Amino acid sequence: MSQKPQGDCGDICPEWGCRNKDEYRGVWVVGEVDENGLSEASLQMLTPARKVASKLGTKITGVLIGHNVKGLADQFMEYGADDVIVVDDERFKEYVPNVFGEAVVELVKKYKPEMIFIAGTMRGRELAPFIANHLRSGITADCTDFDVDEKTRDVFQIRPPFGAVLLAYIRTPNRRPQLATARPNVFPLPPRDPSRAGKGEIIEEKVEHVPVPKSRLVSRKVVPRTEAPIEKAEIVVGGGKGLGSAEGFKMLEELAKEIGAVVGGSRKAVDLGWIPHERQIGQTGKSIKSVIYMAVGISGAAQHMFGVREAEVVVAINNDPSAPILSQADYGVVADYREVIPNLIKLVREIKDRLAKGEPIDL
Amino acid sequence: MRIVVGMKWVPGTQSVRIDPKTGTLIREGVPSIVNPHDLPAVELALRLRDKYGGEVIALSMSPPPAIKGLEYLIGMGVDRAILLTDRVYAGADTLATSYALANAIRKIDAEIGKVDLAVFGQETTDSSTAHIPAQTASWLNWPYVYYVRDAWLTEDGKLRVERILENAIEEWELDMPAIISIAMKSIKPRPVSLLNKIRFKTNPSTLITWTNSYMNLDVRCVGLKGSPTFVAKTVDVPEVPRKKIVYKPKDGEDAARWILKSLLSDEKASRALLKALRGSSGGEGS
Repeated sequence: MSQKPQGDCGDICPEWGCRNKDEYRGVWVVGEVDENGLSEASLQMLTPARKVASKLGTKITGVLIGHNVKGLADQFMEYGADDVIVVDDERFKEYVPNVFGEAVVELVKKYKPEMIFIAGTMRGRELAPFIANHLRSGITADCTDFDVDEKTRDVFQIRPPFGAVLLAYIRTPNRRPQLATARPNVFPLPPRDPSRAGKGEIIEEKVEHVPVPKSRLVSRKVVPRTEAPIEKAEIVVGGGKGLGSAEGFKMLEELAKEIGAVVGGSRKAVDLGWIPHERQIGQTGKSIKSVIYMAVGISGAAQHMFGVREAEVVVAINNDPSAPILSQADYGVVADYREVIPNLIKLVREIKDRLAKGEPIDL
Repeated sequence: MRIVVGMKWVPGTQSVRIDPKTGTLIREGVPSIVNPHDLPAVELALRLRDKYGGEVIALSMSPPPAIKGLEYLIGMGVDRAILLTDRVYAGADTLATSYALANAIRKIDAEIGKVDLAVFGQETTDSSTAHIPAQTASWLNWPYVYYVRDAWLTEDGKLRVERILENAIEEWELDMPAIISIAMKSIKPRPVSLLNKIRFKTNPSTLITWTNSYMNLDVRCVGLKGSPTFVAKTVDVPEVPRKKIVYKPKDGEDAARWILKSLLSDEKASRALLKALRGSSGGEGS
């Protein structure tokens, strides 16, 4: 077993200090607060947190750091936090990675949670490794699942490494806390239960050591998203290198408009500059959960297919009969998209006309 | 100003294999490249140097073949390059990697001259954790910010950056020394120039190697030993059950008809599709 008495770190790097695993209990979710309150991505982290907390037989504590954030504690509980630690302090009015990071570190040293979940938003990806490193512990990014080894209470942090043909079970056997991030919308938002509000304890904490910030936010311009996030779309149309040009995406956009879909693309299409990175589908982009996914001119690399695992029905249009995607789709069509898509648009318009008139659809 | 820019030597193909015993990457036989997301970081570092003077030092912790990557960066205009390499550094997770990099930055600071800024790419193409910049900032206790796409100096010698988040554009001011990571694809890197290559040929001492006998880091803090996380096991990604019906249509219209028929005969797909088609045609509604 790995329990070592305090002071005897054996083979451990002297700069790390000793950790007695048995002192660490409980699961934390660090809340991310912006203009719109508690971010949905951080509430989504309550889903894997609940899975892990149940297996460990422990509770979930939400952590809120900011100014005027106490009011968000109830929301945290409604979505699954059992207790909430609140640090409400004017010095945390603006998020500064080093300052927020050190605040979480101080709280961790006091409460000693065994597992910390942080949403893998852009700010979360910036903050989480700083916290882990200050604690001299390990962190795993972009987890897609978690499991627990009940004997050691080690959490398996599961993520696809490299080519997305394998899942790696990453383990932190000797250090605590364990830390993990997951990309937004990889885990669903837990059901909201208003009756949970106020049930748990709100622990008001003060952070003793707040460093003088060596960086500051000068200005922030909110740029509202114009298009719907692809991870939440019911119907997604994806384009790949096989489209041949950026022009091909215009055709997909036209179809998408008719069928209420959001357009995404493969990594190759993103690399070619045909579609922005925010709409990349795959292991290093977004994971979609649409009911329908239509892949057009996409060969079907493992990394791309990893991002569409949770799509219910996959349609592939590809003129190469040997394209791997055809054997990984529900409905594959061997054809040139330039001939298929305009016909799809035409037929869809006909169907819409019939629906509007209350006539039966006849294909 | 003296700028250190990080470089990772990554497998060039996406078909990467993992040693099932150690869970670490098999590098043998896989052609490698400079991590593409590091190139905008190199470009930004070079632009700052060109504007404000000073030097850019590329730093990479990698096996010796990464010398090729450092040569590439020298070809782009980097003034010198340091390869941090030793068998004891192998198998490092991000904590152990950042520990070695932070100590190399300290050594540059002590032996070459004061480091004002360290610049990293947003993430790597082989593991895409984006951990290293923040972890290095943690070791050095420097301010840091991610997703930068532009940087300049203020009159009182501070670093200003513009960074881009999901739904916001922010401007930050950082005391130096500082660490920034550069948003992927945000800056177009310059090509390698013949002049820089010739300069390197005549003065190869601009590329140096630091092993652990020089770095003198505790072997318990680096490589696999210095890594709190390890890959306990790997499993195949489970296959998603799909119908796998492949149709060879007569023409485009036949194809479109078959796709729509298939979707409308599928319970879930037809519900989603009809909902969308009714919604956007302003039909009966819910």
